Amino acid sequence: MNPDIMTGISSVLTSPMTLLFILIGTMVGIVFGAIPGLTATMAIVMFLPVTYAMSATEGISTLVALYIGGISGGLISAILLNIPGTPSSVATCFDGRPMANKGQAAKALGVGIFFSFLGTIFGVIMLIFISPALASVAIKFGAYEYCALSIFSLSLVITLTGKDMVKGIISAVVGAMFATVGLSPIDSRMRYTFGSVDMQAGFKLLVFLIGLFAITEVVKVAANVRKEQNFTAEENVRLKGLGFSFREFTSQIVNLFRSALIGLGIGILPGIGGGVSCMLSYTVAKNTSKHPEKFGTGVIDGVVASETANNAGIGGAMIPLLSLGIPGDPATAMLLGGFMVHDIAPGPLIFQKNGPVMYGIFTAMILASIVMCLFMFGGLRGIVKVLKIPKYYLLPVIVMLCCVGAIGDSNRMFDVWGVLIFGLIGYFFAKAEIPTTPMILGFILGPMFEENLRRASKLAQSDPITNHPISIVFLAITVIAVALSVRSNMKQRKKTEAKE
Amino acid sequence: MKKLFALLLAIALLTAAFGAVADGWPAKDITIICTHGAGGDTDYNARMISRYLEKKLGVSVTVTNVTGSNGNIAMNQYKDGDNSGYTFVMTNTAALVGNEVTGVSDFTYEAFEPVAIYGRQSGENIIVMADSPYNTLQDLIDASKAAPETISFGISTGGGVYIAATILNANGLACNFVDQGDANSRLVALLGGNSQVTDAPYATVKEYIEAGQVKSLCTLLGERPTLIPDIPTASETVPDCVINTLYVCLAPKGTDPAIVAAMNAAILDIINNDADYAEECLSYNLQAPWALSVEDTLTELKNQRDTFVKYLELF
Repeated sequence: MNPDIMTGISSVLTSPMTLLFILIGTMVGIVFGAIPGLTATMAIVMFLPVTYAMSATEGISTLVALYIGGISGGLISAILLNIPGTPSSVATCFDGRPMANKGQAAKALGVGIFFSFLGTIFGVIMLIFISPALASVAIKFGAYEYCALSIFSLSLVITLTGKDMVKGIISAVVGAMFATVGLSPIDSRMRYTFGSVDMQAGFKLLVFLIGLFAITEVVKVAANVRKEQNFTAEENVRLKGLGFSFREFTSQIVNLFRSALIGLGIGILPGIGGGVSCMLSYTVAKNTSKHPEKFGTGVIDGVVASETANNAGIGGAMIPLLSLGIPGDPATAMLLGGFMVHDIAPGPLIFQKNGPVMYGIFTAMILASIVMCLFMFGGLRGIVKVLKIPKYYLLPVIVMLCCVGAIGDSNRMFDVWGVLIFGLIGYFFAKAEIPTTPMILGFILGPMFEENLRRASKLAQSDPITNHPISIVFLAITVIAVALSVRSNMKQRKKTEAKE
Repeated sequence: MKKLFALLLAIALLTAAFGAVADGWPAKDITIICTHGAGGDTDYNARMISRYLEKKLGVSVTVTNVTGSNGNIAMNQYKDGDNSGYTFVMTNTAALVGNEVTGVSDFTYEAFEPVAIYGRQSGENIIVMADSPYNTLQDLIDASKAAPETISFGISTGGGVYIAATILNANGLACNFVDQGDANSRLVALLGGNSQVTDAPYATVKEYIEAGQVKSLCTLLGERPTLIPDIPTASETVPDCVINTLYVCLAPKGTDPAIVAAMNAAILDIINNDADYAEECLSYNLQAPWALSVEDTLTELKNQRDTFVKYLELF
């Protein structure tokens, strides 16, 4: 057996600090997930600076624990408040809330928590098996393949996030443009630096993400702070055991695997994220069910479909991140930033160069899902109390920590201004209903595309594209995906026009 | 007895000399600005020497990383920084000299008061897959001449690797030079069959060489490193092809020469006399510690710049 596996596992299990960080990370993540308006991504943003001083295994274990906690915590507010704590739990409301209204809140929570746990474990197991295999294929990838892959990923993000493809393109192009500031790849020419030395280093991924996620969210909440919040929390919840019977569990096994596979698949595809996977999985569960009419009235099938899928997506989203260096969603883009801080380069060699850290992370993910399960069953009452803390106490702390995080990476004030400016840009985007996920992927994939396009064009004389069938396949799928999306966009427009 | 007396006298004189000019230095904590990020070799060496300087000088020596543009952000910010003798910049010569030559910065080592060159990198190596038909740099040059532009050589544009490629090209190596990004990406390209030859720091490819997957044709260092003496140098075949990436300590312009001399003396003392430092340095850089006086540092920087300029004009 690969000795890295044992080293990795024991580096987590024998280090009390790492275990403590996983425990804290998961708990904080759950709280962030549960509070509407705070997300898993924000939890990772906030804790990233804390991990600067840690070892790579400790730091990244903390971040994945926050990720798992953050995605899982959303179900609590979805069921008890009828407000999804995170976009990943939107579909949990559909059946979770009616169950709570029927007095089955405990059962809904029990099902949600337990299937979140199963979904996470499924995703992590798939991650452990798929990602080394993908890495060994990806080592053959050269300029042509990465060029095609970045176009493919970008087109998926543009067509699948949001309703409007044009807005998706705007967002992706703006992101790619911000990434061109600084020294150009390959020939190190200065672009858009306006004579400023600080601009020469360009904008850092972390600065960009912290601004777009944390600051934008804070401004959004601040804008609504005087609006009255009238949610009623279900407080009399008593969990007995898991809250559901063994027969109810066995009736969900097919649903479990189907939803887990949907979550995994959506997770692997770049840019789509938990919000879509829970909706899709819910719809599929409903359409294939023997009793579709009961969906929405409070059946556990709906909760199972939504919660299994969003958690299975965690492992899924990490597969392309580790093997190709392409993050699938904002949360994994933050993790990419975390890897950079610890000088770990995701890509085909990651298992050879950082084997122990990788297996350490896998161990941490399994531990975090166990902690998540136990803490949510045991600490439910505490979490419900936290939901009542007014957000104006939390938000200033978040802003401050974000700025500390921005400055901590390369010690310059310029990055703090960057965070604030990107925060405002993100807010205007939100007002214009332009999705920001394509912007982030544009920022990461734009330079990857440019660099590899330039390399490929230099190669073209001696090594033409016909020698690279994989890249041709990716390009073909891209064209088909865009064509289909344009068609469905046009159909939809006709429909709305007909209505008017 | 006479010799011992002479030695004692010399030490006494030296101490007196420094005592007289750099009186009372250091009186407070010293800040070291490292121009490259945590985890890399420039940072590692800066932190290593700083730990020993702290013990030697008796004040706290803090390393802060200010990163970006191959060190240019930090160097630009601190070249005219606090010159009271408590701020120093630690970087490598490829960044200091190379940035100006390749146009990333508009100033060179003369914008600073160079303190000391205090170490050598483990060295860039020209590597091929273990089953490659080429065993020496000469094999590679001959093969490339037989079929020009067919062997692809992964490089990254700008920096030492680029300059080495230019020098080799001018001396008969007729490969197709393709940009493949940083050392890690170039290694990926070699392992994945997207290039036949590349160039990477020994530390990056160590485990692949030891596992017998990759072999090194030569090192670009001027001399064979202590711990890997069986790898020849490129200069044995192409005399001009020497890329010594050296670690250098600089002081902001206008720092008192006496303080520069005192700092140089402190660094030299650690490099030459500290057995613990020697051991740590050997295991990380694969060669014994090595440092230059203020004057030799200036000469070496000038030499490096001259070589860089000479070959970049070829393009």
